[in-house]
Amino acid sequence: MDWRYFRRRATNVFNLTGSVLATLFGLSWLFWILWTTFAYGVSAFDWSIFTQNTPAPGNDGGLANAIVGSVIMVSFATLIGTPIGILAGTYLAEYGRTRPIASVIRFLNDILLSAPSIIVGLFVYELIVLRVGHFSAWAGAVALAIIMLPVVIRTTEEMLRLVPNTLREAALALGAPHWKMITLVAYRAALSGVITGILLAVARIAGETAPLLFTALNNQFWSTNLSQPMANLPVVIFQFAMSPYESWHALAWAGSLLITLSVLALSIIARTLLRKARMEYS
Amino acid sequence: MMNLSQDVAVDTGAMSKIQVRDLNFYYGKYHALKDINLSIAANKVTAFIGPSGCGKSTLLRTFNRMYELYPDQRATGDILLDGENVLSPRADVYRLRARVGMVFQKPTPFPMTIYENIAYGVQLYEKLRRSDMDDRVEWALQQAALWDEVKGKLKQSGMSLSGGQQQRLCIARAIAVKPEVVLLDEPASALDPISTLKIEELIYELKRNYTIVIVTHNMQQAARVSDFTAFMYLGDLIEFGDTNAIFTNPSNKQTEDYITGRYG
Amino acid sequence: MEPIHTHISRQYNAELEDIRAKVLQMGGLVEQQIDQAITALVTANISLGESVVIDDTKVNKLEVTIDEECNQIIARRQPAAGDLRLVVAVIKTITDLERIGDEAERIARMAVRLAPEPRPKNNYAEIHGLGTQVRQMLHDALDAFARLDVEAAVRIAREDRKIDERYESVMRQMITFMMEDPRTITRALNVIWAARSLERIGDHAINICEYVIYLVRGKDVRHTSLEQVEKEILGRPLGE
Repeated sequence: MDWRYFRRRATNVFNLTGSVLATLFGLSWLFWILWTTFAYGVSAFDWSIFTQNTPAPGNDGGLANAIVGSVIMVSFATLIGTPIGILAGTYLAEYGRTRPIASVIRFLNDILLSAPSIIVGLFVYELIVLRVGHFSAWAGAVALAIIMLPVVIRTTEEMLRLVPNTLREAALALGAPHWKMITLVAYRAALSGVITGILLAVARIAGETAPLLFTALNNQFWSTNLSQPMANLPVVIFQFAMSPYESWHALAWAGSLLITLSVLALSIIARTLLRKARMEYS
Repeated sequence: MMNLSQDVAVDTGAMSKIQVRDLNFYYGKYHALKDINLSIAANKVTAFIGPSGCGKSTLLRTFNRMYELYPDQRATGDILLDGENVLSPRADVYRLRARVGMVFQKPTPFPMTIYENIAYGVQLYEKLRRSDMDDRVEWALQQAALWDEVKGKLKQSGMSLSGGQQQRLCIARAIAVKPEVVLLDEPASALDPISTLKIEELIYELKRNYTIVIVTHNMQQAARVSDFTAFMYLGDLIEFGDTNAIFTNPSNKQTEDYITGRYG
Repeated sequence: MEPIHTHISRQYNAELEDIRAKVLQMGGLVEQQIDQAITALVTANISLGESVVIDDTKVNKLEVTIDEECNQIIARRQPAAGDLRLVVAVIKTITDLERIGDEAERIARMAVRLAPEPRPKNNYAEIHGLGTQVRQMLHDALDAFARLDVEAAVRIAREDRKIDERYESVMRQMITFMMEDPRTITRALNVIWAARSLERIGDHAINICEYVIYLVRGKDVRHTSLEQVEKEILGRPLGE
């Protein structure tokens, strides 16, 4: 056998082994985390977490108020963040393509996208909590909405850009005004992609702790009043995990599992939709 | 050798639907069309041919002001549709596009059902009752020779059709608005030969009711479907005349070089 | 018309060049046939006459070959403009050349038949003269074809009048002979037949000139008066 070919083969084997090992190394941590979450979470899981509120230290209880609080705040955040995000994304993709202001917005949006969430929390703390004088679920929802916003803007813009220009031209060539083209054709074409973006954004904010610490804080009791502090899973997990009580630890594990599973479910749905969106236009 | 015909402009001998006068077009600073003068005959097929970048698509896109979507493109001169200058700022672009329909190179069905694809354009101009809309959709699909293939599946997505069917759907969509002129921008270049022939046959049928302008890379296609042919090169209209004359005895050397395959 | 060899496809250049060359080759063969047929008649050379008859199968074969090549070019290349006119002109030219070959063959067969018989006193001088003139005319027509020379084509077309005049005078002469002396009737009829063939060859040569004009200018000048052609093609009457 030729020496040169042997060397090529050897180099190939060497590099392949190296990259596989590196991947395994990275993934092993992830699996460790997931495994731990599942192992502890499943053993701590009990249907009572859905029916009982967070307990006093050392007592048994559930996470009902935190789950409901999280759902409420994430929903409101989505209700605030999605329309603004879609409109902004639409502006960037459809109207502002070539304008300088659009590239400024895009740049700022990218910064916001990678901004630490605790800064957003502090911002809303300054903006709302300090002025109103107390923590509130509203402030939490706003903070989450701000975190969600850049994700929605980005994906909306990307998905609208995936819509071929010829499709736009075809609609306009029929004499459709610009807004009708966007609402009736571009949105329809980008629909599954945009929904994917929203789902991913929801998945992202569902597990956020830092901004809520400064805004919604926590509430030991059942509350659906948006003007008052509200319990939520991430902060409860944070507090319970930090505590010395065994029963709180167990609830923290159960809460972690719950969030992990919901995020996993959202991601799977989002990926399926995204694949559909890509298949349609490429 | 003497020049038998020195004049580029040819009297097409038919009623003129569109008259282009001293048209110049710019992409930013680039001068893409230079002093174009020509006349598009009513109820005839006029083909624009020429190498890539010669300005044939650009010229086509001035007829319905498609270029306006892009901020750095502008046109000067006159384009008269039945004597009315469509480039004038006072001309209503939506009305213009209702009168001048367009079909693109790639089939562009909207992501909706076949029925909605046709109804989309109609709804922009007319408020029809459901039964009237049904009739209009059927009529447009008949005109585009697609009705028999899709009549049982109007509720299916337009994207589920084959490439050739999608293109005929787009033609039906353009026709449903009842335009006077149909612009075809390389309508068959993405299609297989059989679908191409169907489109060509359709063009032949359609010219009875519409004035058709087609841009094509395929010279044989221009020879097959058109009554008049314009040859363009580097933004100039080099030769315009009867298709038979252009393909058997062009008067310009550049035209001859192009249609006989002598361009480098 | 643009030069043949300037297409992007060199294979296409070669194909067009090939049919053009084959037409000239066929033309050369046919010229030779006329030449030999007349010589055979004048010199009573039986073997020469027979060789003309044999040559005609070569001419026919060549016609079929060129025809096929033209069909292939049309089917595969879809020639346009000058190329299209070249192929069409070639198809028509070879038909005329083939007919010319047939006329030459007819004269050659006559030469073979007449060889053993007594010669007329002038030794078919009329045929020799007319034949030389017609052969020259065909030669010039093929030359115009080879050089795409429109002016020459028009000039040759004008030559046809002289051929016609000469043919008329041969006819009159023969009729006079026959009336004067009925014993000359057989011989005179043969001369008339040969002259008739030569006159037809002249007409075919004119056709070829018309194809040259069509090929170069894209104008169909058949069924157009000579004066009209001169005015349209040359922009002036042809000076003598």
